[in-house]
Amino acid sequence: MVLWAEVLTSIVKFLIFPGIVFSFVVGLFFEGIDRKISAHMQHRIGPPIWQPFLDVGKLFTKEDITPSNAEGWLFNFAPYLGFGAIITVMLMLPVYAAQPAFSAAADLIVIIYLLNIPALAIMLAGVSSSSSFGTVGTERYVVQLFAFELPFIIASLTVAAQANWTLSLEGIVAYQQANGWLLWELPLAAAAILLVAPGKLLKTPFDIPEAETEIVYGPLTEYSGPKLAVFNVMENIKILAVAGFITALFLGGPTAHVIAGVQIPAIVDFLIKTIAILILITLIRTVTARLRIHQALKFYWGFVAIIALINLVYVMVI
Amino acid sequence: MSFVVPVGPQHPALEEPEHFRFTVEGEEIVDVDFRLGYMHRGIEKAFEEKSFPRALYLAERICGICSGIHSIACVEAVEELAGVEAPRRARFLRTVLAELERVHSHLLWAGIAAHEIGFMTLFHLTWRDREHVLDVLEMLTGNRVNYAANKIGGVRFDVEPKHLGKISNVLDDLEEDALRYMDVFTSDRTITARCEGEGVLSKGEALRLATVGPTARASGVDEDMRRDDPFAAYGEIDVDVKTAEGGDVLANAEVRLSEILESINILRNAVEQLPEGPLSVDAPKKIPEGQATNRVEAPRGELLYHFKSDGGEKPSRGKVRTPTMANIPAIIEKLKGETIAEIPIVVASIDPCFCCTERVQIVDKNTGKTQTLTKKELREMREE
Amino acid sequence: MPKLIPDVLKNLFSKPFTLKYPFEKREPPENFRGKPKVDREKCVSCGLCERICPPGAITLDDEEKPVFDLGICIYCAECVDACPVEAIEKTKEYELGVYDRSKAISK
Repeated sequence: MVLWAEVLTSIVKFLIFPGIVFSFVVGLFFEGIDRKISAHMQHRIGPPIWQPFLDVGKLFTKEDITPSNAEGWLFNFAPYLGFGAIITVMLMLPVYAAQPAFSAAADLIVIIYLLNIPALAIMLAGVSSSSSFGTVGTERYVVQLFAFELPFIIASLTVAAQANWTLSLEGIVAYQQANGWLLWELPLAAAAILLVAPGKLLKTPFDIPEAETEIVYGPLTEYSGPKLAVFNVMENIKILAVAGFITALFLGGPTAHVIAGVQIPAIVDFLIKTIAILILITLIRTVTARLRIHQALKFYWGFVAIIALINLVYVMVI
Repeated sequence: MSFVVPVGPQHPALEEPEHFRFTVEGEEIVDVDFRLGYMHRGIEKAFEEKSFPRALYLAERICGICSGIHSIACVEAVEELAGVEAPRRARFLRTVLAELERVHSHLLWAGIAAHEIGFMTLFHLTWRDREHVLDVLEMLTGNRVNYAANKIGGVRFDVEPKHLGKISNVLDDLEEDALRYMDVFTSDRTITARCEGEGVLSKGEALRLATVGPTARASGVDEDMRRDDPFAAYGEIDVDVKTAEGGDVLANAEVRLSEILESINILRNAVEQLPEGPLSVDAPKKIPEGQATNRVEAPRGELLYHFKSDGGEKPSRGKVRTPTMANIPAIIEKLKGETIAEIPIVVASIDPCFCCTERVQIVDKNTGKTQTLTKKELREMREE
Repeated sequence: MPKLIPDVLKNLFSKPFTLKYPFEKREPPENFRGKPKVDREKCVSCGLCERICPPGAITLDDEEKPVFDLGICIYCAECVDACPVEAIEKTKEYELGVYDRSKAISK
């Protein structure tokens, strides 16, 4: 292909689809859907689905304050670090086809680590903000990260093991298109990774690092204005990224269907699957209370890691 | 590495402003220091400026949640001073008011406790059911809080036959809901993980610290002013006092939720046995000289009103001792050895109502400066 | 399994408990203590309401008829009970917000 055309498509992919604009819009709609469904479950009306756009817009008009005792450069840099990482993850997920937007380095291990950079950004934000709430929040987030990372990696490796040890998401999606969803073949690993999802996304019962009634807002307590808006958008895109990752691993990724003669593009299938995972996360969030950090650690390294391990051993032995 | 976590005066965990300073190492609390005084409004002084009927309205506004019981306590103290006895029907109606308020207050507590442990759904659902109680109160008295229901010599509202249908429906629904919440609170795994064994107050400590109300009953102390020092119509109605063992947050929840069920029974009895008769008798404007103390069982514990009159139209001294004031040392005892995650739920487990509590202030006669006492200073003064 | 799942699913598929105020309003009950209103024809200018009002929200104007300051009024309806000719009635109005404090009166 001519070089300028390739560069142009890459820029469009990065900026618009599935890069910044698409992730931004869909991520914020996901938060809106989550809040609306949660509100109806609580027998009330709740905000309209487009409310997160208004929230982010309002935050961009507010004053940007840096506490005088904070580590200035780190405090200001942390949101953009996280945002950049999560956009990179979106560019490496299969969103509109089995092949991701930038497939050169799109590898399972790379994505697992990139998905932790937003968490790292929040931790850095917490310690650099000179507030004791931030410090406590970061301490809890470090423990929680160690807690859920173990079963997450075990479950992901189980999928890779089943798909003949291919580590690229494209290969895993292709394997599922040939052999059916891995959800049915590896149910325990799927259950493990669905239990890890609230932990990764800081949703009840695992919203311990940002426990509102205990430590105000945890690591992000001192943030305001545009930087808080960037963190907010980053957290919402993370929902889309984690749901997309689980879709690619267990639900067959984006597949195009033909129903009654109508061609349905793969992106619609992708959105339906990710919204289904979102609704599951919302249900879990609505019916549980917040756990304590050592109870979360015990849960993840106990029950969840064990079921993931059982499935891994099963795949490797049989 | 220890550092200080300040909680309050503005904090999502607190419903009213108070200030706690926790010195923590990691997650474990090593030391607690607290200071109150943010809600001090000078009400006891204001009592001296107002005639007795107006002081009644002021007493009602000390607290929003328990405003009815403050009004009952105040008016009975004044009636004792004036030598006036409210008619039997009025006393039964006051019982109805007190019990309805107990139900709504305990449902509010259940919601707040759920909110403190991050369980927003239970918060919304309990407050939704509380709306029905407030509707009944509005139907009977004309307002959801600050009922303006009492006057010296009787009451100003009535339960009419046309109200009975709605009251009965609401009580039936509430009984179902209270049983459901009792089931959820005692058996849901995430709630028991957060509440069981947290904030333990042993029976010995509860007695030593003179804890009152459901907080004491959750530690096994069998004390209830409705049975032990009857006010309103409680002398004629049986009250089954609920206690629990353990003194932790879960025991507090059990006691309060079973008290809702007991209140529903008392309400049914009171409404059924409502005697005929006048709603009020006349009371003198000038209250004879003397002092009177009245103790009632507010939703949070024993509430004490003391009035002193010198024969005029205004009280010469009014004193209020609210249950949360008696329970504050219990918070300190409960928080020893806990972690940061327990702070909101343990503080909430005594059902604090800090706007009721603020009464202590010292004025230094020489310099005219006011000073609020810190806990350390109070303890030092006590030991002197 | 979390205990609240049946309640939550039942709520998801039923009408919300919230009323869309101001488009849907609740009718206050009969005893509701709203804005006090005086019938100037019936009033005999005895001044009892002014004396009994706990916060002192009632003043008598030039014609010796009561004027209620709604910012000070605590809506206790003592004036309604005190009036010997039942000239004051408690209405069901509760939407009494104004932008100008001097307009918060009831005559």
